[in-house]
Amino acid sequence: MSTGTTRRGFLRGTALITVGGGVAASGCKTTALESEGTHAPAVEAEGTSVDTVPLECEVNGQKEALRVGGDRLALDVLRDDLELRGAKRSCGHGACGACTVQVDGRPVVSCLMPAVALHGRSVTTVEGLAKGSDGLHPVQRAFIGEDALQCGFCTSGFVVESAAFYDRWRKEKGTAVPSDEEIAEALSGHLCRCGAYLSIYRAVAAACRGDYDEPGGEGPRYEARDKVTGAAQYTVDVALPQMAHAKILRSPYAAAELRSLDWSAALDVPGVLGVVELLNAPASVRYVGQEILAIAAETEEIAARALSAVELDWRIKNHVLSIEAATAEDAPVVFPRGEARRSPANHSEGPALPMVWRGNVRGPGKLFSHRRGLARWTGRDGNHKAEVQGRYRTQTQVHTCLEPHACVARWGTSGGLEVWMSTQAVRHMAEDLAERFGLKVSEVEVHADHIGGGFGSKATLRPEAIAAVELARVTLRPVRLVLDRREEMTVAGLRPQVRTDLRAALGKADDLAIKARAYGDGGAAIGSATTPLMRIMYPQSRLDLQDFDVTTNTPPGCPFRGPGGPSAFFALESSIDELAHTTGDDPIELRRRWNQNDARRRVYDWAEALPAWKDRSEPQHDRGRYRRGVGLSAAVWLYLTMPGSRVKLDAGPGGIVVSTATQDIGTGTRSLLADVVASGLGIERSRVTVEIGSSRAVHGPMSAGSRTASTVGPAAEDALRLLKEELLEVAQTKLRMRRAWAVPEGVRDSVRFLSWAELLDESPVITVVGKRRRDRGGFFAPPIDGLAVGRYLSAAVQVSQVEVDILLGKVRVLQSWTGLSVGRIYNPLLARSQVEGGLIQGMSYALYEERRLDPRRGFLVTAGLEDYRIAGIGDCGPIHVEFIPGGFENVEGGGVGIGELSTLTPLPTIANAVWHATGWRPRRMPLRPDRVLEGLNS
Amino acid sequence: MIRLPTTIEAALEHSTTHDVRAGGTDIQERRNHGRRRRPVLDLRDIPGLDKIERDGEGLKIGARVRLAELAEDPWVRERYPALAKGAASLGNPQIRAVATLGGNLLQAPRCAYYRDPEVQCLKSGGSECWARQGDHLWHVCFATRPCIAPHASTMGMVLAAYDATVSVAGGAARSVEELYDIGDTLRDHTLDEGVLLTHINLPRPWSAEQGAYMRATSRARAEWALVEVVVRLRLDRWESIVDARVAVGAVANTPLRLREVERLLIGNVVNEPLFVAAGEKATEGAQPLEDTAYKVELLRASVFDALNAAVVSPPSPLIDAPDEDGSEGESKGPAK
Ligand SMILES: Cc1cc2nc3c(=O)[nH]c(=O)nc-3n(C[C@H](O)[C@H](O)[C@H](O)COP(=O)(O)OP(=O)(O)OC[C@H]3O[C@@H](n4cnc5c(N)ncnc54)[C@H](O)[C@@H]3O)c2cc1C
Ligand code: FES
Ligand code: FES
Repeated sequence: MSTGTTRRGFLRGTALITVGGGVAASGCKTTALESEGTHAPAVEAEGTSVDTVPLECEVNGQKEALRVGGDRLALDVLRDDLELRGAKRSCGHGACGACTVQVDGRPVVSCLMPAVALHGRSVTTVEGLAKGSDGLHPVQRAFIGEDALQCGFCTSGFVVESAAFYDRWRKEKGTAVPSDEEIAEALSGHLCRCGAYLSIYRAVAAACRGDYDEPGGEGPRYEARDKVTGAAQYTVDVALPQMAHAKILRSPYAAAELRSLDWSAALDVPGVLGVVELLNAPASVRYVGQEILAIAAETEEIAARALSAVELDWRIKNHVLSIEAATAEDAPVVFPRGEARRSPANHSEGPALPMVWRGNVRGPGKLFSHRRGLARWTGRDGNHKAEVQGRYRTQTQVHTCLEPHACVARWGTSGGLEVWMSTQAVRHMAEDLAERFGLKVSEVEVHADHIGGGFGSKATLRPEAIAAVELARVTLRPVRLVLDRREEMTVAGLRPQVRTDLRAALGKADDLAIKARAYGDGGAAIGSATTPLMRIMYPQSRLDLQDFDVTTNTPPGCPFRGPGGPSAFFALESSIDELAHTTGDDPIELRRRWNQNDARRRVYDWAEALPAWKDRSEPQHDRGRYRRGVGLSAAVWLYLTMPGSRVKLDAGPGGIVVSTATQDIGTGTRSLLADVVASGLGIERSRVTVEIGSSRAVHGPMSAGSRTASTVGPAAEDALRLLKEELLEVAQTKLRMRRAWAVPEGVRDSVRFLSWAELLDESPVITVVGKRRRDRGGFFAPPIDGLAVGRYLSAAVQVSQVEVDILLGKVRVLQSWTGLSVGRIYNPLLARSQVEGGLIQGMSYALYEERRLDPRRGFLVTAGLEDYRIAGIGDCGPIHVEFIPGGFENVEGGGVGIGELSTLTPLPTIANAVWHATGWRPRRMPLRPDRVLEGLNS
Repeated sequence: MIRLPTTIEAALEHSTTHDVRAGGTDIQERRNHGRRRRPVLDLRDIPGLDKIERDGEGLKIGARVRLAELAEDPWVRERYPALAKGAASLGNPQIRAVATLGGNLLQAPRCAYYRDPEVQCLKSGGSECWARQGDHLWHVCFATRPCIAPHASTMGMVLAAYDATVSVAGGAARSVEELYDIGDTLRDHTLDEGVLLTHINLPRPWSAEQGAYMRATSRARAEWALVEVVVRLRLDRWESIVDARVAVGAVANTPLRLREVERLLIGNVVNEPLFVAAGEKATEGAQPLEDTAYKVELLRASVFDALNAAVVSPPSPLIDAPDEDGSEGESKGPAK
């Protein structure tokens, strides 16, 4: 094991103790880049082996002459050499389409295409598509107009492909409208994790129809133009002068002790700049992929090569990879008694309460039970109408952000720290970094201009960010660390798998009793929260609820859009459906009998009137090969907010700047802020500039737990209120309207009226800071760490129509209808996009997604996007979304979040529809063809 | 290190010590993860390999022809409909725009264990098949060889149904079936290291071919097939099957041409029981693994579906020439 000082500086351990002195840059100049650069190609003659060959091509109409090596890919050349960073690397193996560019007008997979293949050809990237005087291609206008994007990371690829489709279509078919089938075929090689597919259909069809032939018009999304032109900068696009590149060495074992670690040879690899340990030896690793150390080097390739020079001495231990193995007699224990038990990460959104451990099992958490004794009794006394029970299983789901977790860190000469991070929480990251590195929060700035998806996985300070920051400090160079797709799929975030045994009984008086035992396997993490949601859904019932964590030697879970929700509502709402069919009750009517909540009443009313539900056929109506069925389920979700969050306005004749330390992960935060301000003042949105994505602004919320809109919306309105007061004063003093009073559109006195816009033109720059206030009547739980749980619950009902091919075992969702009661909607188009995305993610989880590990060793098998299957555009039929007005009057701003609520119903709805179609009730997700065939045969 | 030879001869001089590269969509994926590290020999500048040419009555396709070009070629679409359909259905549009026909035939399997740079499996120098002991949900259901990875090549399967042959520089020409006659070895094909595939040759097109290509997947599109099937039929006026070719992929370690199924079909009148029986016959000899029995069911249904799709697809143009020149392989006319 290497200790003590070496020529180069380094840092040891996550405890941030610098071992040895020389944190010096001077010794670090052996760069492979330079040596490669000075390596003149031996001979240039054709057919001889050389390091690099000339590449001449035209890129966006410009001639380029470069030299490239054998393994350079078209994408590398475009992004790194030509600095055209619109095309993204997401999967890196041809499955996602984010890297698509046109070569001679045809879209190609630039992440696999060798750069030399571009020789003599003409390349068009998203940056060069423009045709019109507005600098936009009709397809780009259509994507803006139809809001065919969310986080935007997939957007360049979709736009480049759609533009090629459009160009060809218009030439051959004029303004005929392509069918969804034709569009899906053309875009089949593109994945969008945010689930923007339905508006992508709309955009491509509208562009082909000619709706966007002329410049003009604005879309609902503030930053859409940047995203459709490739101008939006994500963390992976950040390139700083002198930037070094880092890679992480990870554990190949699921359970082992690292007896010693020697990286001195790695440090000697030419081009290596520094090493940082992320695990102190001797130490235990608990899963394959756990971080051991990170190396920064001149290039990513050198860093990767240097990793193999690290010497490790392991003592391999026995491991447990499944709930069954972890709960067996004498199972090896993942977190042994003592200190270790305090270390597991928490994958729920709530705090981890202290609980009893037995081996790998932690729990039960049974706080949410209600009239538990009675619950046990119902169903046993013979005095009930019906009883059903089943074991429900949901699988591990991977967040699969298309932008991988990434961080670029730079230390300033005066000790300040600047970090670009793909994060859902700029402000919290700045605070965490400050604490960790002994800085003041004001000395740290975290940037996240655009974030390519998060879904809960980018809300904490993670090892790759810590590694980048530490390496930047050691090497005195900016350091970039981006996870590759395999790492992203292995460790960057997952939803735990859950096994739920649920028994539901219906008493003679239609009272509901539920006994549920949920075992959540979040790997080396805890926080199982399946059964509490049952209490929230049917609070009056007799509930005997217990949640357990089962720890295994697999990567730790983290919060994932609606933590605990899919597993809870799958088990619960399948059981309710089964109960209803057993007794012959109407499924909505039955739910109504247990309900006292207005939001739920609204969605039940809405669903009852829905033709697709009302006019459904008898169960198991179809007899042929293709069987259709209709299923329904309901769900509720908590409403979280961060009172105390702030929004700042700097308003004057030049326009208004809105700022807060929050970020837009594709949910439309920028647009919401711009819209609230513009419409509140009756001014054009173009006069509003939104500055978010930096931790330096006034305190703003993280984008998680569906809290952003319900936090920044009211804060912005509060700021407006203050601004209007100031403007009134301007009128009264500067403009001599001494008796002026405010009206909604501006101020007036007995003689004249001045609009807010006119007043702004006359006013000096005014700065106000608005605050998210407490709800009327307060909160259910007062703020902890700034986060409050509101007193109101949102509700949703979804009805889906599915078709089951009983020969190929294939389930398709033909169409679905979802009603949500969430109160005020700030921007209906954007809200619809987000709900569609949540529903598509849920459908994708129900039908396709499944993290698979090698069952013997616990390494990841589904490491790429070919094998980890997320829904594509062809899998998405029409989705009808209805925001049911009413309620939430006491909530500041009048509306609550939608992000999580929208992803809870697809599992049970699809399962109930499959039962309705076939008579087989699925109890295990995903509904893979083999499972469906097995289920139907049983 | 890279070489860009301009002649086949120059290429052959180095092909044993280099990684041969055509479109790169397979080999680059392996190189990017360090699975292969030899210098690159890129076929970009060798002339004559990127054309689809009429060759006598048949067709000669250069190894570097891109799958998208093949799928869109008007002559191929008209005369070899199942070939065009297969080429249009695999991967996704951006892959087909880069991937070549030769590379498709010679690509390595997509087994996750084989592609994992940290794993040594039978094919990558290890001593055991990880998939057999481990996760093999997407592996073969004809587990008759040591490696249980399904053969990746859609076009290999399609071309087997066209009685195609391949021309090889530095080695002997052979039929596509011989190309995959790997016996009990761990190879992907029978070409020796360092030889180059130059052309793929198709016999004279059938008169009035009705072809279909089908793949079973879990998602709607752009997914590796769980099972794939190609069918070519020739019917007479009375809907009797005059000639048939059936091949299947993703179920075995090589593409499978199903001669027994063809024999069953030829000479019979098109009807549902016949196609059901054909689906059943296709599964004969299946040896599913623990988790791949479902593929047998998918195979049965997919063959049935492909036959049904073939009989409703528009026939290719009639060709007057008599049948007896043998260009259609061994099965000639009704076997009654
Ligand atoms: C997301 C995705 C989905 C896919 N789906 C499918 C699918 O459904 N069906 C399918 O069949 N394929 C599929 N593929 C694979 C793809 O079709 C192949 O990667 C491609 O056809 C290989 O062609 P290439 O020209 O890129 O080959 P390369 O990568 O250049 O070469 C492949 C191999 O062939 C060798 N080689 C190539 N040309 C020659 C030659 N002329 N002489 C000797 N050796 C040669 C190379 O050395 C290498 O070993 C998919 C790929 C991806 C990424
Ligand atoms: S990055 Fe190229 S296809 Fe995913
Ligand atoms: S918008 Fe498509 S991945 Fe986020």
